[in-house]
Amino acid sequence: MNEKRYAIVLDTKKCLNCKACTVACRVENEVPHEDGAYRIWVTALELQGKFPDLHQDFEPSQCQHCQNTPCESVCPTHATYKTPEGVVLVDYDKCILCKACMTACPYDARFVHEHHKAIDKCTMCYHRLAEGREPACVETCPTKVRVFGDLNDPNSQVSKLLDTNRYYRLKEDRNTNPRLYYIIK
Amino acid sequence: MSFSNLKLSRRKFLAASGVTLAAASVANGLGTIKAVANEHAEGKSKSLGRKFVPSSCAMCVNKCGLIAEVVNGKIKKLNPNHKFFKSRSMLCARGNAGAEEPYNPDRLKAPLLRVGKRGEGQFKEISWDEAFKIVAKNLDEIKRKYENRSSVVFYSTEGFQEEFFHFLVQSYGSTNTVRHPTLCLASVIQGWSSVFGTLPDADMSQAEFVIMLGANRAESIVTPDTIDFQKNRPKGQQIVYVDPRFTFTATKADKWYPIKPGTDLAFILAITNVIVEEGLYDKEFVDKFTYGFDKLKEHIKPYTPEWAEKECEIPASEIRWTAHQFAKYAPRSLVYPGRRTSWYVNDTYMRRACGILTAIVGSWDVPGGIVPKSSIPLAKHDPLFPFFEMAEGRLDAKIGSLDSILPKDERTAAGLPTDSCTFLGEKDGSWITFREAALKGNVYPIKGMITYKQNPVESAPNRAKTLKMMEQMDFICTIDIQMSETAWYSDLVLPESTYLERWDPCHSLSGIWPIVTFRQPVIDPLFNTKSMQEIAAGIVNEMLKIPTLWDDADPADVEDFKATLVEEILNQPMEEFIKHQLSKYPGAFEQIKKEGVFYLSDKPQYGKMRKENTRFKTKSGKIELYNLKYEEKGLDPLPVYRRPSQPEPGKYRFILGRHAWNTHAGTQNNGYLHQIQKENSLWINTKEALRLGIKNGDYVVVKSKVGEQKVKAYVTEKIRPDCVFYAHGFGRISKGLSLVYNKGASQAAILEDKIEPISGNAAMHETFVEIKKA
Repeated sequence: MNEKRYAIVLDTKKCLNCKACTVACRVENEVPHEDGAYRIWVTALELQGKFPDLHQDFEPSQCQHCQNTPCESVCPTHATYKTPEGVVLVDYDKCILCKACMTACPYDARFVHEHHKAIDKCTMCYHRLAEGREPACVETCPTKVRVFGDLNDPNSQVSKLLDTNRYYRLKEDRNTNPRLYYIIK
Repeated sequence: MSFSNLKLSRRKFLAASGVTLAAASVANGLGTIKAVANEHAEGKSKSLGRKFVPSSCAMCVNKCGLIAEVVNGKIKKLNPNHKFFKSRSMLCARGNAGAEEPYNPDRLKAPLLRVGKRGEGQFKEISWDEAFKIVAKNLDEIKRKYENRSSVVFYSTEGFQEEFFHFLVQSYGSTNTVRHPTLCLASVIQGWSSVFGTLPDADMSQAEFVIMLGANRAESIVTPDTIDFQKNRPKGQQIVYVDPRFTFTATKADKWYPIKPGTDLAFILAITNVIVEEGLYDKEFVDKFTYGFDKLKEHIKPYTPEWAEKECEIPASEIRWTAHQFAKYAPRSLVYPGRRTSWYVNDTYMRRACGILTAIVGSWDVPGGIVPKSSIPLAKHDPLFPFFEMAEGRLDAKIGSLDSILPKDERTAAGLPTDSCTFLGEKDGSWITFREAALKGNVYPIKGMITYKQNPVESAPNRAKTLKMMEQMDFICTIDIQMSETAWYSDLVLPESTYLERWDPCHSLSGIWPIVTFRQPVIDPLFNTKSMQEIAAGIVNEMLKIPTLWDDADPADVEDFKATLVEEILNQPMEEFIKHQLSKYPGAFEQIKKEGVFYLSDKPQYGKMRKENTRFKTKSGKIELYNLKYEEKGLDPLPVYRRPSQPEPGKYRFILGRHAWNTHAGTQNNGYLHQIQKENSLWINTKEALRLGIKNGDYVVVKSKVGEQKVKAYVTEKIRPDCVFYAHGFGRISKGLSLVYNKGASQAAILEDKIEPISGNAAMHETFVEIKKA
């Protein structure tokens, strides 16, 4: 199989919630300084326990680049589409801002981009991939929580990580089959 | 002392030692720089197309390697430089947000002269020529009027161009330079150096057992430590994290001890007690390398875990466990030295104790231990400065009684100096002590203030006092990139080019992985701004036109100065300065321009101070568990625990900390970082909030002896009930900072100005506050 199948594997135990990924994404993709405009984010999950026995985890998230794509199926103009590598993109010219995809997305990964007058979301930095560069969030991450690569290449780091670790995906019960894998250590 | 001796010592003290710069012959030096700046002031960029330019970040102190992607003369993105191994292939949130700095709408775009009253914010744009003349004229007037050049204070903080600011200071001849360490890490330098003669690094990448005391590495990023702490964390490494707050670092630690604030020394002494009493120390290392173990053995006896438990509220069994693990994994075990250590009045003793504990288990200069820094030597310039007769010694060296800035409790009563800072840095000074002396006015008057890349109004505790000190000034000039609070209250504001628009000299970043970095412009300057080097050149060139500025110096000295500083350094392009710095290494300049980094080896450096005849920079030449200089000065040669002040009922201790997305008070007015955090909020323990009737999100008033602030409450389990916290950098009073003006609360406004009198460090955790629902 020659086709690439891109995925991101995350080791959230290493996440410091430092927000480097979110800022890198905003700069790279010219996301405007507006509340609610974000392609990726990090959530500090609810604090567990009572003082002084406390525990807290962080969960970076974004468009999950689902294989079963609810946003795509509801889009009346086919503005949302999948590339051969499985990256979910939006064609700004075709988008009529009906927001059906925002409603359909179980991950709240889409927002209205005021400059483009279109729905926007994570593209896995598709424009960088052609140049052999990693997505901006992956490249900048201080502790390398994120690993990007090709699932069809058994020697890629993502394939190896998924071979040797247990993992989960977000909202698996929605049957969206996401391309973001969260490993359990 | 004869005049000639004085002259020699003065010149020697001021001039950097090292190799003299060979007379550089560069045509059209400063002229070229001016021409380029003028072109781009008109917004015409010649650089079409796409390019990648390596340089280094300046959003905090780490200087991480970056590669700027520039499209048609505009920065598209700043990316990590993967060859810059000290920053381990990363850029943090601030590093990424740096792409906005040159384009920030609040940038200072031209020199500004105040036209209304101070603090009113009325300024008019003037030319650089006028600005340089104004500075030179005021420096001259103050010198003549008070017959003392030291009547002008020069405030600065670290940075690649700080050197040029200091060249300006030395050209004028004031002895009053006040640098950042006493708002930061003066006590950690003093404490660790009092044991090892140097401030070492921690090898987080190979340590098996780590004690971190309030060093919040997840949120206060230090490269490579923060990265190694998670990315390269050795399998099985255990981290014991001690902090009154459950920070992001605590979420990653194996144990979190919410210690009672101010008692860290008790915890460390008790661990030392267990290791000594149970004979778990490294006998061979102690015999060979240390001085005073017998005295330590006696001294440490009373400090049992059971005793410490009552002080620091960490169970004795846990302290014992920590001690056993620490000894078990030694020498791959360490007490993390930390960075901002301006906490308590006894901080130097606490840091000393950390060094002593590390030393007795032999965790010194080995993988996974505490390691002395290595560096890559650069060729130094050797400018000569005149000796000026009208310059008094440092103001803060002579203040006399420190009573007003020391808390009255058993620490000061029994063991800390009360008359002066024992080890005052000759170049760094002490912020709190200096301001106190300036306000007292009992030594000599301080009438001029020139500030570079520092914002004392917001960074130093007790803002009201800083503003009061500024009121007495005849002239205030501030050099910055945005309208800081200090700039807002200035008479003259000089806009510096941002770090992405200028050349900066090389710096050798010392450490376990020594590396050399520098800066080159990734874009042309957007506005009518200049680098500190150009500003220093402009002012000094004007000063040379005023004869009365030089009449208390030997004319031959002035000629030397013109030749070695003005012509060879200030009036030359920065590239020449950099080429000279790297002149020992053929091809290094070309390499650093291309790759953004220069190094001799990418392997960690271990073992140079574990050799047979190692002489440490201490009085005994050994690692001083018992410090001989301290004994001489009448200080405790071994760290003695004395109980800190405690809040009265109904009050809370105010503690400080960091977020990974802001640096001090310097980055809040950046759109990307503002997006993450728009104002700060007060952390208060759930039970205490309930008692006070405060709900999450309510506004509260935080009141100390020196001021009060209104801020939103964050009701949480993540902090001890006896203290409260909010982040630095908000509650701003400069209307020139449009995103953060009047948002949230300022620390400077409520922190009391106490000092740690051995190092002169500000003691920033000595403030007690009342909390009321707003």
